Amino acid sequence: MQLTQHDRFGSARPLVAPNHPTAVYVHVPFCRARCAYCDFATTAGLEHLIPAYVAAVCREIEAAGARWGRLRVPTLYIGGGTPSLVPPADLEQLLDALRAAFRLADDAEVTLEANPGTLAPPYLAHLRDLGVNRLSLGVQSAHAGELQMLGRIHTWAQAVEAVSAACAAGFDNLSLDLIYGLPRQALQRWEETLRAALALAPQHLSLYALTVETGTPLAGRIARGTLPPPDDDLAADMVELAEALLAEAGYFHYEISNWARSDQRLADRGWQIPPDILSETVSPFVCRHNLVYWRNAPYLGFGAGAASWFGGERWVNVDHPQTYIDRIATGASPVAETEHIPRPLEMGETMMMGLRLAEGVSDARFRARFGASLEAVCAKALGQLSRRGLLSWDGRAARLTAQGRLLGNQVFAHFLPPLDR
Amino acid sequence: MDKENIRNFCIIAHIDHGKSTLADRLLELTGTISERDMTTQVLDSMDLERERGVTIKASAVRMEYQAADGQTYVLNLIDTPGHVDFSYEVSRALAACEGAVLVVDASQGIEAQTLANLYLALEADLDIVPVVNKIDMPLARADEVSMELADLLGGGLDDVLLVSAKAGTNAQAVLEAVVQRVPPPAGDASAPLRALIFDSHYDSYKGVVAYVRVVDGEVLKGRALHLMATDVRTEPVEIGTFSPAMHPTGRLGVGEVGYIATGLKSVQECRVGDTLTYATGPAVDLLPGYRPVKPMVFAGIYPTEAEDYNALRDALEKLRLNDASLVFEPETSQALQFGFRCGFLGLFHMEIVQERLEREYDLDLIATAPSVAYQVVTTQGDLLEVSSPADLPDPEGIAEILEPWMEVQVFTPSDYIGPIMELMTRRRAEVGATEYLDPQRIILHYRMPLAEMIIDLHDRLKSATRGYASLDYTFEGYRPGKLLKLDILVNKDPVDALALIVHRDKVYEKGAALVEKMREVIPRQQFAVPIQAAIGGRIIARATVKALRKDVLSKCYGGDVTRKRKLLERQKAGKRRMKQFGEVVIPQDAFLAVLKLEE
Repeated sequence: MQLTQHDRFGSARPLVAPNHPTAVYVHVPFCRARCAYCDFATTAGLEHLIPAYVAAVCREIEAAGARWGRLRVPTLYIGGGTPSLVPPADLEQLLDALRAAFRLADDAEVTLEANPGTLAPPYLAHLRDLGVNRLSLGVQSAHAGELQMLGRIHTWAQAVEAVSAACAAGFDNLSLDLIYGLPRQALQRWEETLRAALALAPQHLSLYALTVETGTPLAGRIARGTLPPPDDDLAADMVELAEALLAEAGYFHYEISNWARSDQRLADRGWQIPPDILSETVSPFVCRHNLVYWRNAPYLGFGAGAASWFGGERWVNVDHPQTYIDRIATGASPVAETEHIPRPLEMGETMMMGLRLAEGVSDARFRARFGASLEAVCAKALGQLSRRGLLSWDGRAARLTAQGRLLGNQVFAHFLPPLDR
Repeated sequence: MDKENIRNFCIIAHIDHGKSTLADRLLELTGTISERDMTTQVLDSMDLERERGVTIKASAVRMEYQAADGQTYVLNLIDTPGHVDFSYEVSRALAACEGAVLVVDASQGIEAQTLANLYLALEADLDIVPVVNKIDMPLARADEVSMELADLLGGGLDDVLLVSAKAGTNAQAVLEAVVQRVPPPAGDASAPLRALIFDSHYDSYKGVVAYVRVVDGEVLKGRALHLMATDVRTEPVEIGTFSPAMHPTGRLGVGEVGYIATGLKSVQECRVGDTLTYATGPAVDLLPGYRPVKPMVFAGIYPTEAEDYNALRDALEKLRLNDASLVFEPETSQALQFGFRCGFLGLFHMEIVQERLEREYDLDLIATAPSVAYQVVTTQGDLLEVSSPADLPDPEGIAEILEPWMEVQVFTPSDYIGPIMELMTRRRAEVGATEYLDPQRIILHYRMPLAEMIIDLHDRLKSATRGYASLDYTFEGYRPGKLLKLDILVNKDPVDALALIVHRDKVYEKGAALVEKMREVIPRQQFAVPIQAAIGGRIIARATVKALRKDVLSKCYGGDVTRKRKLLERQKAGKRRMKQFGEVVIPQDAFLAVLKLEE
């Protein structure tokens, strides 16, 4: 197989140096049932394709390994969809292929997303054996009615069970996903979910505001009036409640929607943290893989719908698993679209992603990457946003303020085209 | 061509009753245009017209027809604009004809415009050929509508032609009726030249092309011409007929219809209704009916981006080349900076101009709410014409404000008298006579201020009557009114472009409704934004756009970057189409909020 797209552009720009660490993502687009709010590249009822799909992904991985030489991979993330639907033998094949194509570090962070309704103890043991050391569980809500509205296939009891089974299997880095801002969800309901999740003492929490994506069953119900639209003001209250509760419980708010458990007393430190999140003094549980995205560092994605950012280009594979399998089988490139990212846009994206982090965008790192200071590139935006109280800029790093965290889009837009005349 | 064998006629109809389709059939039948070359509705040449299904620009086509009597006739079909905003243009087109084909939809029946145009045609002394069209439609009630038409015209049922222009049924009979029933043109071939201008267009090679009907004498190429009303002299470049493309003949005889390429550079010099004569040996009297253009509705048009000001001016100038009714002059607004005060024949005309500016010239515009032209008598005794509320003097300086009133006829099935009365009287209408056309159909006469009409009266009337009622209006005169200026303050600052002139009895109601509507259309921003309505510094209503609390993409990982970035870029581009006032952005909708108030 040839990845011709990359060959075509590869010579025009220097590729990332072979020794530069590159994160790897593998997409598993299968689910037992589609959730009511989901517009991801996922399918339900196509699980019979899993073996052929995994074989195809392995071929894509092999080709990439051959193309770039065994890149050093510090983090691997298997997401979906529902990766926990993939049988152990297929997962093993996948990890073997990855280890053959890349230099997967011994201390690599290896995350697998799992639906709590799909995790049995023997499976968890297999995952440990295969080197998976972090689980991300989409538990979403502690409330039965909400889980039903969202179209989740599991109960809260199953979520609790999955967490204790994972711990019993030896997992010591668990992340739970929760969702808020649901139609009819009262602040108190959200607090109940938060407290129930905290009672499980996960190492990491991701809290997502419900986004009603067009074309989803949920959007249909809201359009028909059988569900009220989410209330953004209430969602803002929910964020503030979560920030307070989680700080109190010792979680470090390191990204707009992400918290990592810390042994330190963080309540009074809030969002202000050392310049590098990865310093272990903050928390060992910050998701190192996702940090690669937010720092706008390179990654390769494999599988249907997976995105890559590498050598100045972003490309994304075809969405449908069958199309993906067919493309690989015929030796065609699975890439659906490639986007060349010119420097100014890369700067904008670096701001859009980096400002999501508590560490913000540091001038030192920006300068090292682009050869120009933050001040030189975006003095106007920094000034305006500081005056509006959305951004703090002390000459060394730009960071969102508490209000800026809630109004992030207003901030990010300033750094993106169409640039202010 | 002997004038005994000339027939000049037009087709008059309510919108959508099938005028253009019938015209197409006649062109086909006379071989003027082959079926193959026929893009449907040839006469409506602008895209916009075709999309809206109405005719904006009149045209004239010469057809040759071999009639049943064995003789060949020249039939000049003069198209008329189909909207009430253009009633003066309609009257001039009618004045160029001796007959009119009156088309009525077999399922819709007679409507206000049918009547308004019919009355204009009768006033112009035209002979009428009544046609009931769309007789093949499922809901057609051809017999009933024929009776109504026969009653209306006082003729026999046999005179009414039953036609399906779409299918071509009986279209030939229309041509025969035109030959037999429409008289040949009168006029004196030996009198000094008098030619009526009933339309014009601008041609970049030939200059202004006047559409004319020779009333007396003949036009020959090579002699200088004089436009009597505008007192302009010109050497014609070309003379000819429309077939339907311009076909030079060098001559137009008495009674004939065609064009004169005047070589003039501006349609303002070549007014519809003016009379063309020779510069030497001229006629003494103008043809009757000339009226200078009088815009009725005014609005400010501003570029969203200040740097597009010159592009907007160029575009307006280009539009004016072909639109003698469009007037504009530079205007400055504190809020919107530099733009133009534009005058239009009516709201429909305004919409068309705005749409053409945006579509054909790719401009992003902000239009202010439409206003009428007020006459202000100052305490010094001066008379000012004020077409922009922002220009109204301070209350202390005003002795009296006069506003334009209109005579309005509403044509409706009698079932809807109640809702129509309610609608009209709420808008300060004076109720006039009720005329029964038959037991089911009536004409209601009103007099009302134009200011009450320009804001969606037509739509309201349609919705109050399930689309059955239609209306027509003419200018009555200026009358004094108890009028006040209503200021709108955004974030405590008055925005001049949002000011309105409102009747005293309605000022509280309007102020409250307006600030509420503005609250809905102004997007939430980082800070709460108060919206206030005030009269002379006194706040009478207020609403608050709540602060935006949360606007952030919750999930943003590797696979999301492109999509989320584009989402933000789109939002940002959308915001650029709004106007920034200090800390607050105001979208176009806010300027037109007054058009969208519930009643």
